[in-house]
Amino acid sequence: MDTFVLISITGVGLGALYFLVASGLSLIYGLMGVLNFAHGTFLVVGAFVGLWMSTQVFHTNSTFAFIVSMIVGGIGAGIFALIMEQLLITRLYNRHIDQALVTVGVALVVGAVLGGWFTNDLRLLPTPPWFINTVTIGKAFIPVDRFLYILTALALLGIFVGILKFTRIGLIIRAGVENRTMVTALGINVKRAFSAVFFLGGFAAGVGGVLIAAYQGGVTPLMAGSWLIYGFIVVVIGGMGSIGGSAVAALLIGITKQFVNYYIPGLGDFVVVILLVAVLLVRPQGLFGKVSA
Amino acid sequence: MSVLSLKDVHVYIQGSHVLRGVTFEIPSNKVTALLGRNGVGKSTTLKAIMGLRQSTGEITLDGKSIHGKPTYQIVRTGIGYVPEDREIFSMLSVKDNLNIAVRDSEPNFDLVYSLFPELKTRTAQRAGTLSGGQQQMVAISRALLNRNQILLIDEPTKGLAPKLVTEVAESLARVAGESTMLLVEQNLALVKRVAEHILIMDQGKIIFQGEPSHLEDADFVHSMLGVGGRHN
Amino acid sequence: MLRWKYSRPLLGLLILITAIGPAIHLGFLAEPGMQQTLAVAFLYGALALTYDLLFGFTGLLSFGHAVFFASGMYLTAIFVNSAHMSLFPAAAIAIFITSLLATAVGAASLRTTGITFAMVTLAFGEAGHIIISRNFGNFTNGENGLALNADRVPSFFLGVANTRYLFWLALSVLAITYFAIWWVTQSSAGKVFQALRDNEVRASVLGLNPFVYKLLAFMIAGTLASIVGCAMLVISGSASPRFASAETTIALLLMVILGGAVTRWGAVIGGILYSLASTRLQDFSKIATQHHIPKVLSGPLSEPAFTLGLIFILIVMFAPGGLSGAYYRLRQSYFAKKSRKAETE
Repeated sequence: MDTFVLISITGVGLGALYFLVASGLSLIYGLMGVLNFAHGTFLVVGAFVGLWMSTQVFHTNSTFAFIVSMIVGGIGAGIFALIMEQLLITRLYNRHIDQALVTVGVALVVGAVLGGWFTNDLRLLPTPPWFINTVTIGKAFIPVDRFLYILTALALLGIFVGILKFTRIGLIIRAGVENRTMVTALGINVKRAFSAVFFLGGFAAGVGGVLIAAYQGGVTPLMAGSWLIYGFIVVVIGGMGSIGGSAVAALLIGITKQFVNYYIPGLGDFVVVILLVAVLLVRPQGLFGKVSA
Repeated sequence: MSVLSLKDVHVYIQGSHVLRGVTFEIPSNKVTALLGRNGVGKSTTLKAIMGLRQSTGEITLDGKSIHGKPTYQIVRTGIGYVPEDREIFSMLSVKDNLNIAVRDSEPNFDLVYSLFPELKTRTAQRAGTLSGGQQQMVAISRALLNRNQILLIDEPTKGLAPKLVTEVAESLARVAGESTMLLVEQNLALVKRVAEHILIMDQGKIIFQGEPSHLEDADFVHSMLGVGGRHN
Repeated sequence: MLRWKYSRPLLGLLILITAIGPAIHLGFLAEPGMQQTLAVAFLYGALALTYDLLFGFTGLLSFGHAVFFASGMYLTAIFVNSAHMSLFPAAAIAIFITSLLATAVGAASLRTTGITFAMVTLAFGEAGHIIISRNFGNFTNGENGLALNADRVPSFFLGVANTRYLFWLALSVLAITYFAIWWVTQSSAGKVFQALRDNEVRASVLGLNPFVYKLLAFMIAGTLASIVGCAMLVISGSASPRFASAETTIALLLMVILGGAVTRWGAVIGGILYSLASTRLQDFSKIATQHHIPKVLSGPLSEPAFTLGLIFILIVMFAPGGLSGAYYRLRQSYFAKKSRKAETE
């Protein structure tokens, strides 16, 4: 029972990190049809900005410093995403394959630049001392940092849902995910929504990058690849363009991975990809995706 | 006085020459019906006006060229568009479907709700769960919320049950009196009722312009639109 | 659209290489290091070509193609090392098994289309990559890679002095792959692949079953990739999990885009250049330090991905069709000029 509680909560914590990566990926694909291979790069950019804040600006590992670094990391990644969108993506308007290819190029170039500047070694990100504490639930000892991941993911989920439900740009995004052409035919410049989605997606990924750095013990440009693949898996299982779907799929995958890894160490990843194949073959649009392509 | 004019408009879609020099003018404060067999380019003409299809030629609205501008700017010069197949946002509520269409500072919700009272009771319902007729009402409402120079309406009665056709026709007739409208329609009864001017297309060109009274002549209808003049 | 002339540039190159072949003991080609580098580059050229069949000709964006390449490598190595078979029968069985594997994976993935297909193949590819790198069943030696037992490899493939035979092996595999894909794409099935890519609905209206043809393309591409894998095993002496990764498939995509899809020789040149660049660009860092280039620049320049990625972005943005596309554009404008000149005269 204690093991069950422990694995469930750490699984939810991992799912929270997956959600941060996947949510923006899902919106960007849903609205613009761009499969964003640079999303892992957003995450790494956010982590490096967070690292810079934390080590060069604050020189302390207080909770306040960490939270601010995390938010600044998110903003840094958001701005990076916006620049990429303005500089490259908008110029390839409606050429979806080329847009995806350009993001592959960005991922390569930025990965190489960061690798060239900082090497691919893990750089320690200072975290508040209480991160290594545990709390007892029943008899299970739960690492406290997992709750921060979960709270952050919930906060971002709240922000996303709030923006989508209660703002004009959110309305345009929701409508655009369904039928972009009709949105323009109502006199709306949908490109603003594209920029908003890129910034928000980059922000979530950047925040996620700082937290992932805390989770893994440090920052390296190599984080981009593996987390990007998990982001894709979550988005595809949840359904492209659905934030709620991403949240559910992220939890499903986080928990599945932790449980499988506990009983058969090393098999978690494998089961997750098999889960992806199974879901797609039964429901190609994902769990919460709309039926049409 | 014409509101909208097209001069020698050509459209190619995947190599085939769909519009072959379309030229016409739409008079203001009248309903103009655009008729023709299936596949002659009626919807493509509307899409070319909207900037949804790449075209060559001249398109002017109220004397200013709108050709080549992005769709959203064309619409902002004052066009209300009701596309073929409605294209409402099925995941959004009725209210959201209407709200997203708002451009004016004082959108005319009163007009919409007086034309389609059923929508008022269903504002929170997801548009995808509405009946076909109600979805068409949402699509038409989106175009009526703003003050427009012209309405482009593409087959509003397509696929509707006869009773609903009447209902949609009634509301179009009510709006018709005070607005400029370009209506693509297969239903000749509706056209005769609301249209004051007709255009007939064939093979990507306008082959006739004139009074709707010609539609009373069975031979004319037969030669222009095929047997009986009613197609689907 | 596909005619003999599209093959001429590559054929010219092959003839050139064959002509200078006897001179392999001369000049820079005499260095075994260079021969090895070129051999690897030829194989990447061949591998990129198999990907062109999928992506360029049939329009299937697969992210799992590298797995069939790795499967050819690993199965051959396992049969040689564990089943004590000699190289050629082991390779033949490995290729056969991979063709079955490709058929099975293709049959499952091709139930979906578009982006979903890309994701399913990514998942299959990752599954294969995980199986190899986690060493399930103790066959693959995990992250360390699996070295080929040299005792069972024909002696002429061994030793630095015999590197020239590896060069010839790679060149033959490139030629075989090239002519196989030439033949496939020129055949009536190949025409159907392209029709499906351009307009699946129109093609299926003609009574063709898209699934069967796409599966055929997937199977052929996978099988050819495994042949290249066997050769790569011999040339590099060991198999490594990175050959199965999604990064490898993405590299193949880059090679095809770099050289230009659907011209065949474009993919080959793209693969060769990419491979040469990956190995040679690392020397930049040495040059950079010698010439006191600031670290801000020398760091990224020492990573081949930086230069390749930049070139790649520029090609996608400004030169769709890649190198071969640019070549045909130049040629076209040259001939257009010439014919204009002829008219005025």
